[in-house]
Order: sequence, then C-alpha cells, then structure tokens
Amino acid sequence: MDFRLTQDQIDLRDAVRDYLAGEHGPEVLRRLDVEGGRDAALWQGLIGMGLGGLLVAEAHGGLGLGLVEAALVAVELGRANVSEPIADTALVAAPLLPAAHQAAIAAGTLKVALAHPVNPWIADLAGADLVLAGGTTVAPPASPTPLDSVDPLRRLYAPLPAVADDDALLERAALITAAQLIGAAEQMLTLATDYAKTREQFGQPIGGFQAIKHHLATVAVKLEFARPLLWRAAWALEQGHARAALHVSHAKVAATDTAVLAAETAIQVHGAMGYTYEVDLHFWMKRGWALAGAWGDRAFHQHRLAAAVLDGDMTLDPDATFASDILLQAS
Amino acid sequence: MELTYTPEQNAFRAEVRAWMAAHVPAEPLKTLEGREGFDQHVAWERTLASGNWGMVTWPEAYGGRGLDLIRWLIFEEEYYRAGAPLRANQNGIFLLGPTIMEYGTEAQKARFLTPMARGEVMWAQAWSEPNAGSDMAAIRSRAVRDGDDYVISGQKTWSSRAAFADWCFGIFRTDPDSKRHKGLSFILVPLDAPGVTIRPIRQLHGETGFAEIFFDEVRVPVANRIAGEGEGWNVAMATAGFERGLMLRSPARFQAAARRLVDLYRAHADTAPLGAREAVLQAWMDAQAYALNTYAVAATVMAGGHIGAEASLNKIFWSELDRAAHRTAMSLMGARAELRTLENSTANAWQEGYIFSLSGPIYAGSNEIQRNIIAERLLGLPR
Ligand SMILES: Cc1cc2nc3c(=O)[nH]c(=O)nc-3n(C[C@H](O)[C@H](O)[C@H](O)COP(=O)(O)OP(=O)(O)OC[C@H]3O[C@@H](n4cnc5c(N)ncnc54)[C@H](O)[C@@H]3O)c2cc1C
Repeated sequence: MDFRLTQDQIDLRDAVRDYLAGEHGPEVLRRLDVEGGRDAALWQGLIGMGLGGLLVAEAHGGLGLGLVEAALVAVELGRANVSEPIADTALVAAPLLPAAHQAAIAAGTLKVALAHPVNPWIADLAGADLVLAGGTTVAPPASPTPLDSVDPLRRLYAPLPAVADDDALLERAALITAAQLIGAAEQMLTLATDYAKTREQFGQPIGGFQAIKHHLATVAVKLEFARPLLWRAAWALEQGHARAALHVSHAKVAATDTAVLAAETAIQVHGAMGYTYEVDLHFWMKRGWALAGAWGDRAFHQHRLAAAVLDGDMTLDPDATFASDILLQAS
Repeated sequence: MELTYTPEQNAFRAEVRAWMAAHVPAEPLKTLEGREGFDQHVAWERTLASGNWGMVTWPEAYGGRGLDLIRWLIFEEEYYRAGAPLRANQNGIFLLGPTIMEYGTEAQKARFLTPMARGEVMWAQAWSEPNAGSDMAAIRSRAVRDGDDYVISGQKTWSSRAAFADWCFGIFRTDPDSKRHKGLSFILVPLDAPGVTIRPIRQLHGETGFAEIFFDEVRVPVANRIAGEGEGWNVAMATAGFERGLMLRSPARFQAAARRLVDLYRAHADTAPLGAREAVLQAWMDAQAYALNTYAVAATVMAGGHIGAEASLNKIFWSELDRAAHRTAMSLMGARAELRTLENSTANAWQEGYIFSLSGPIYAGSNEIQRNIIAERLLGLPR
C-alpha cells in the first residue's frame, strides 16, 4: 500500500506540463479560435513528446505506460486546454485497437474518433482516419454533419446510427475526461488566484479581501479531495478491478463538480473581466461545461454509484476502500 | 503507486478484527461528554491497553507497538468497523503525545507517554481564553518564573473534558512584557494542583463536555515545560497541525458513519425528502475521498514528507462532510428527529452526532481561519 506517484510519473507530468506551458499557451487558444480548426504542427509536437505512444507497447514504438500515467498526462492536457484529438486517440483508443493501429498512433499517422451511445455527438469525426464504435473500427463517413458546441474549440459531429455499447471504451474515456476536468479546474484556480494578486480595488489587491480568499480556498479544498479519486480510478481500471467502473464514476462526478465550482468561482473573482470573451478564462470554463456531460453526465455516473451503494449489497465498511473482490451490481 | 495491502498488513487487520470482536462492548457506552460515560470510556481505554492497542504507532518503549501509518489506518478501520467507543484520551494521545514525541526531553517522554498510551492519565487541552479564541496570540494567562517553579494565574475556557481529566497542557505567557506570539510557553499542569478551580460548562446537548479552568497562583515545576521558554507558540502550532492533520479525525470514523447513513436511508427510503438520495450518496463519496486522501498523505509522510498548511484542507473537509452527513440523517428521520426518547438508541446517537457535528467547523481552529490559512499559505494571497 503506497498511495504516491512515483518519481518517473512526476517527471513525466512535469515534462508534459512544461512543454505545454511553452508551446500551448493562451495565445494558441485565441489563434485556434480565430482560425477555426486543428493544427498539424501542434499535433506533431504532441507526437514528438511521445504522447501518441504513451500506452503503446515499446515493441510497437510506444512507451508502454499505463492508465495512471495516461490520467496524469490528461490532467495536463486539460490544464493547457489542448483540443487536438490526442486524448481520444492515444489515451483512450490506442490500447483497444490492433497492434498495427497502435504503431500508427504512436507514430502520429492515425487519428481515431470515438463513437458511443452515451454521447449525443462524436468529437473530431472530420479528420479522423478511423472510428472506434461498438468494439470494432469503422471508416468515418464521407461528410459528417457538424454540431455546434458551447466550447469554441471542440469539433463535434452528429453520432453514427445504432452504435452498440462498449464498456471498455466508456470507462477509459470517462476516466480521461475526469482527468481533463481536474486539469481545467486547476488552471481556473491558478488564473483566478493570479488575478486576485494583481487586481486592486480600495487601494489593495482584491486577494487581500477575505471573501475572495474564502471562495478560492473552497476550490482548493474541492480539488485536493478530487485528485486521489482520479488516481484510484486509474489504478483500479489498469488492474481490471471489479469495482473500477464505480471508481471511475466517483472520479467523474467529483471532477465535474470541482470544475463547475472552479469556473463559477473564477468568473466571480474576475468581476466583469470574467464575463468577457477577451479574458482567456472562458476557454476553460466552456471546456469544463462541455466535458461535464461527456462520457456519462453527472446523472449517469451518480445513478451507477447509487445503484451499487444505496440499492446494491456492496460492502461499505471502512475496510472496503481498496476492496477489489466485489462484483459490480447490475445497474 | 500500489493500492493493495501486503499479506502482513492483511494479517494485522485480521488480528485487530479478532481482538475487537472479542472486546468491544456490546452495548454502546454513555456519552463521553458526561461523568458516567467518561468513566466508562476510561475503563475501555484500560481494556484497549490490556491488549496493547493504546497507541499503535508509538514506540514500544512508550506503550506502543512501533507500527507505521498504514497499520494505524488499518487499526482505525477495524476500530470503527467494530463500533468501538470514542477515545476518552484523544487530546492526550492524538495531540499532546505527538508533541512530546517531537519536542519533549527524554525524561518527559519517559514520564508522560506510557501512562497516556495505557489510559492511566487523562489529558485536557487548555489553550483558549475568553478573549483568545481564534486569536490565540491574545493569550493573557501568566506563568511567572520563581526559582525552579512557574506560578500560573489566569483563566482558560472551552477545555474539553477538563472536568474529568487529570492533567492539562496549556499555553501561558512567561514573558510579561511580550506581545502576541512571543513570550508564550507550553506547560503541563496537574488539574488537582492547589489553586486550580474547574467550572464545567454545559454544551449544546446539555452535558458538561467542556469547562473553564481558573488558575490562582498554581505552582508547577519548570520541568513541566515542553521545549524552551518563549517557544510555546511554535510548539502549539505543531500540535495544531496534528489536530487538523492526520490523527485526530481518522477517515474510518466518517466511513463508518456513512455506512450507517446508508442503512438509515434504506429504512426511510419511502419517506425520504427529494434531496436525500443524492445527499446520502454524497456523504458516502466524501467519506471515501477523505480516506483516499489520508492514505495519500500517510504515504507521503512515511516517505519523509511533511504536512504543513495542507492540514487546513483536511480540517475543512472532514468537519463539513460530517455536518452534512448528520444534517442528512436528521432530514431522513423527519418529524421524529425531534423526539428524544426514540425506540432505539441508534436514532438517539444520530441526534447526538448531529449536535457534535456542529462543533467540528469551530474547534481545532474555525473553518474561517482554515480558509484564511489556505488562501495565504497555499495560494499565496496577501495577508
Ligand atoms: C466542542 C469544542 C471543543 C473545544 N475544545 C477545546 C479544548 O479542549 N481546548 C481549548 O483550548 N479550546 C477548545 N475549544 C475552543 C476552540 O478552539 C475555539 O472555539 C475556537 O478556536 C474559536 O474561538 P472562539 O470560540 O473564541 O470563536 P471566535 O474566535 O470568537 O470566533 C467567532 C466567529 O468569528 C470567526 N472569526 C474569528 N476570527 C476571524 C478571522 N480572522 N477571520 C474570519 N473569521 C473569523 C470565527 O471563524 C467564528 O465563526 C473547543 C471548542 C468547541 C466548540
């Protein structure tokens, strides 16, 4: 029992964070918002960082890492608000595909869109080389129907008809989505804290006012207790734990609530500035809004948990926190 | 990251479970906040000590078992799983004990720790004063040096279970000219010393769970001081860290409560208010989240890391989840939540728990103060 990130995991996280801070700052978000699309150079940069092959075996040109590392990287993608389909392709789809596809993903030559009945859309369907749908791969439609998202940097398309359920896809995608929500929440707390240190009213930084301090402290508390849920979910899913789906649901609900609280707080702390399109904050607020409903909305994951915790016969005693031997109740 | 227990850890769990099954009283004890219940709880401390379970993380030389924090968490899980009583000496074992371990002399360790672990000497914390609550640096009670003694005068208040305890650990102004954080010292005082008067105060539930302590020229040897003269503030802050951080409120306590809340929900599902289903689920989720975070903190501490202002995140989380869980229990009980003599003692326990949960956001440093600490020390906002 050792609930810590390893030094390798911390180094990986820091390297990705530093890279994105340098190459994927807010000016990139503003540019993409104007240019309206994806950016081949950004994609190549992410591939160059090795993110394409993060979960791909070394024999196929990857790094052969696991879901804890994938979740760590996804937090950083959320922090930087990356919109290239690297999370879907490399962190979710890759391990579910045949080896040849995995090698292509590691090399950056294959993009995968994810179709699942839980979502009323498919992200980045145009530009995808393959669609993972119902446990198999299909070719993307020639001219997919675009849908508009509240998030100006998301690229959504109408779902494919009659796609079958796929639990493996759902659990992984929900985990990676929760991780991005945590990253977005962390960034919004940082933006609001930085603003509170510099904006002055009544002759002092607003961060000296206790109301502002307490708002931000409440977000910090929420984040502190959401993060370990993410690590446990990633670890359990990696281990094929019988309770993993429940841990994913728990992490997703907590990450969603944290991102929503962080967004509302950050906007309040920015005052009218927070209500403008010019201040970058809105990119993260809208990403949080979008991802809150992605891969199982709050209701979906709450119901799944409630079915096990309130209606099922799952062991709830204090010794069951890390229990692996209890089968998920049918929900 | 490795989230499975080793075979040795599992064996330890089995050992604790078996012992608890054989020893935990079948009937719940009376409340810890009244004389009769306190005595019952002290008797339980002696039973625990007979199995050498008083404070498992302490070195064997001081009545412990020298176990690490993971085993501590396992012990706590089994303790609360078995429905064992609250710890009568919690101020001693969870607050003063670790403080003496860090700042005490060898002689002080030898003298105070073992009786603490064995449940022989009960301790009260004497910090707050009528005009020094959140603003503890406003402490006025004095300890005047007189040869090898201090002579203590002044008044403390809100001291938990001081009416029943044997000793207190207080903070007193040893430098009469000092201001604020300077000139304070951390001194241990026997509560039966001449000049000590204790006036119990009834708490919200009506029991005399805390008390005022009046000191009228109380003489204690200088050897009762922990750390140097004038270093009291720093020692107290370390103690407060133990209080808010890992030890005082272990996650198992809240997980056990969350499990009972689920039972209560099932018994009242037909008449539950609209929000209850979500609130019960949230209580369970938060108790889990608190447990996970504690395991993460324990791993960090075991690897040589330190918890500082992070303890404030903890304190807010456990106190607010506890209050929310008990508020939910009251809402599930509906109109019957008012009745004091309910058909079973479980329902009464929820009422007592609700009352006590209202104090969590106040004691151990109010949650407003914790939010100030988080904002200033963790987020770096201006003071
Ligand atoms: C059940 C219980 C057990 C206790 N046991 C002990 C004990 O054993 N030993 C002991 O020494 N003490 C004990 N206390 C006292 C406890 O430490 C104090 O109650 C606490 O520090 C708050 O002080 P106060 O009650 O004087 O409230 P005050 O300091 O008067 O605060 C009143 C309100 O004002 C707010 N406030 C105060 N200052 C600020 C600020 N700077 N910014 C924002 N808000 C502020 C507080 O948060 C609170 O909401 C206990 C208290 C309780 C309720």
